[in-house]
Amino acid sequence: MTGSWTAYRKRLLQARRHPLQTVLSVVILALIAWVVWSTATWLVFGADWSVVSENLPLFAVGAYPENERWRPCLWLGLLCLMTATTLLQPLMSARWRISGLALSWCWLAMLPFGLLLLAGGAGLPTVSSRDWGGLTLTVLLTGFSGLLALPLGVLLALGRRSKLTLPRHLCRFYIDGMRAVPLIAVLFFGQLLLPLFLPVDIEINRVLRAVVAFALFAAAYVAEDVRGGLQAIPSTQLEAAAALGLGPWQIQQLVVLPQALRVAVPALTNQAIGLLQNTSLMAILGLVELLGISRSLLANPAYIGRHLETYIWLAGLYWLVCTAMALMARQLERQGPSASTSAIPS
Amino acid sequence: MKRKRFPWLEIVLLIVVLTVVGVLVNNLAVNLIRTGLGLSFEWLWQPAGFALSEHTLPYQPRDSTAWALLVSWLNSLRVIACSIVLATVLGVGAGAARRSLNPLLRQLAALYVGLIRQIPLLLQLLFWYFVAFLGLPSEPMAPIGALISLSNQGVAILGLNLSVEFSAVLVGLSVFTGAAIAEVVRGGLDSVPKGQWEAFRSLGISELLGLKKVVLPQALPAILPALSSQYLNLAKNSTLAIAVGFADLYAVSDTAITQTGRAIEGFLILLLSFLALNLLINGGMQALNRIVVRPAQRT
Repeated sequence: MTGSWTAYRKRLLQARRHPLQTVLSVVILALIAWVVWSTATWLVFGADWSVVSENLPLFAVGAYPENERWRPCLWLGLLCLMTATTLLQPLMSARWRISGLALSWCWLAMLPFGLLLLAGGAGLPTVSSRDWGGLTLTVLLTGFSGLLALPLGVLLALGRRSKLTLPRHLCRFYIDGMRAVPLIAVLFFGQLLLPLFLPVDIEINRVLRAVVAFALFAAAYVAEDVRGGLQAIPSTQLEAAAALGLGPWQIQQLVVLPQALRVAVPALTNQAIGLLQNTSLMAILGLVELLGISRSLLANPAYIGRHLETYIWLAGLYWLVCTAMALMARQLERQGPSASTSAIPS
Repeated sequence: MKRKRFPWLEIVLLIVVLTVVGVLVNNLAVNLIRTGLGLSFEWLWQPAGFALSEHTLPYQPRDSTAWALLVSWLNSLRVIACSIVLATVLGVGAGAARRSLNPLLRQLAALYVGLIRQIPLLLQLLFWYFVAFLGLPSEPMAPIGALISLSNQGVAILGLNLSVEFSAVLVGLSVFTGAAIAEVVRGGLDSVPKGQWEAFRSLGISELLGLKKVVLPQALPAILPALSSQYLNLAKNSTLAIAVGFADLYAVSDTAITQTGRAIEGFLILLLSFLALNLLINGGMQALNRIVVRPAQRT
């Protein structure tokens, strides 16, 4: 700590040799001081956090029936526990460490488990998806649309590089088309127009329609990231695999995709974080996820003019979840099952 | 070399795709007949019947819906064009600041980029509208003489009046896209070998001149493609303006669809109008590419 501080001061002193840099430093310091001062005075004297503190359950679970609230809360708690476990892995002694593969499977299992908890069934009373909301809905939307978008995106990326003309053009058309339209238009399509394309007697609930729209949209972006990963695989790999007598599907499945996906992980993490942030758009189309619930709260006369407190709270929440996702992705990447495969030839 | 095989796979795929499309279109037709709507574009020429909060061309509620859509398209174009300029200035500034000699400036820029990119754009837009602009005093205040006047009724810069909604969308989009552009610029600057920086610094050339004459000409070919995709993102994100009540293309299409019930037709027109916007930005960026990159590569 002290070492970095002396180095820092040294660099500051170096920068001070230019008079312009000194002026710049002073201006920035004054700016920072002003921001810190006004924020601090506002936090102490101006802010009224009742809009947040009185509505914590709403932010967490939305309009979920009160005596069933333990279900989404249990799920959120488990997610927090999993996050902590994942992030603290490197600090734990070897005896308590869980393999990256097992952790990944646990994360994957959280999704159907969360759906079961929220929707009910298997002994629990059912709760209509209309009553889901808050952070729970935000995480659920992100999780399920990401889960659907990944395989779809991989298929699209493979299709786009296919030697066959028709699939190549179809995939290109889909990817480019989807990337050219704004997400809100796709979500609008999912909410209002999708039912028109389905048979009369089939009705899908709004949450599922949103998940489908998000997944269809995100798949196009995932496909481009995966394609970037595929391009990073040298063609000698394909030739070597073919020379060993592997079929085209085996080559993709055993040789190309594991490496390509690994290359694409950082880009895919960004997509996942973007997806989480984009679920806020459903507030415009009437779902009460995290942002939607705050909009309805702010419409309540009791909390009139409490925009800043609400938005700071929301920004903090989104920031926390996004940062946790980014850190975990880096963690899983480092611990991942394929991390050791490069050592096999020796 | 390879024997050309009969394309079984492609034919099967074609049949599957055609069947799926056929089923969907059939469902649509059944639904449209069932609801008695059919397909029609008559409504485009009927009076719109709704007011627009702002318009560059003369507009009244009794004008046709098509005219309302055109006016809103121009509103979108206006806010996108202004945001592109502002976001580029912010992004280039922040991106260059992250590679500046001044450590304070570097950290400030890193803080800006790190913070903005982890918060949803929609939340930021709501903040700019409800907190920053509607939170201004109702009496105009003029911090820099007569240059700029701010109030919760609107913003005036050099006599140019901007509505609160427009200003909120402009600032929100620019600050958000500026952070993304800063990353693009930083990546571009990093693609220039370190020796080039050291060379001009050791020659006693000032930072700004060196950036302009040595680094940027080499970084631009890497920056421009990524920059144009950020501009397209900005255009797509401008549709979130509906959340603050700015009469942009998406918001007006949405109103028109609600009023007429013509969802399919309205959506088609929305897509086409958006395509036109995309083509415009793409064309502009290609022209810029020709102007900027070619001379730099020639030397």
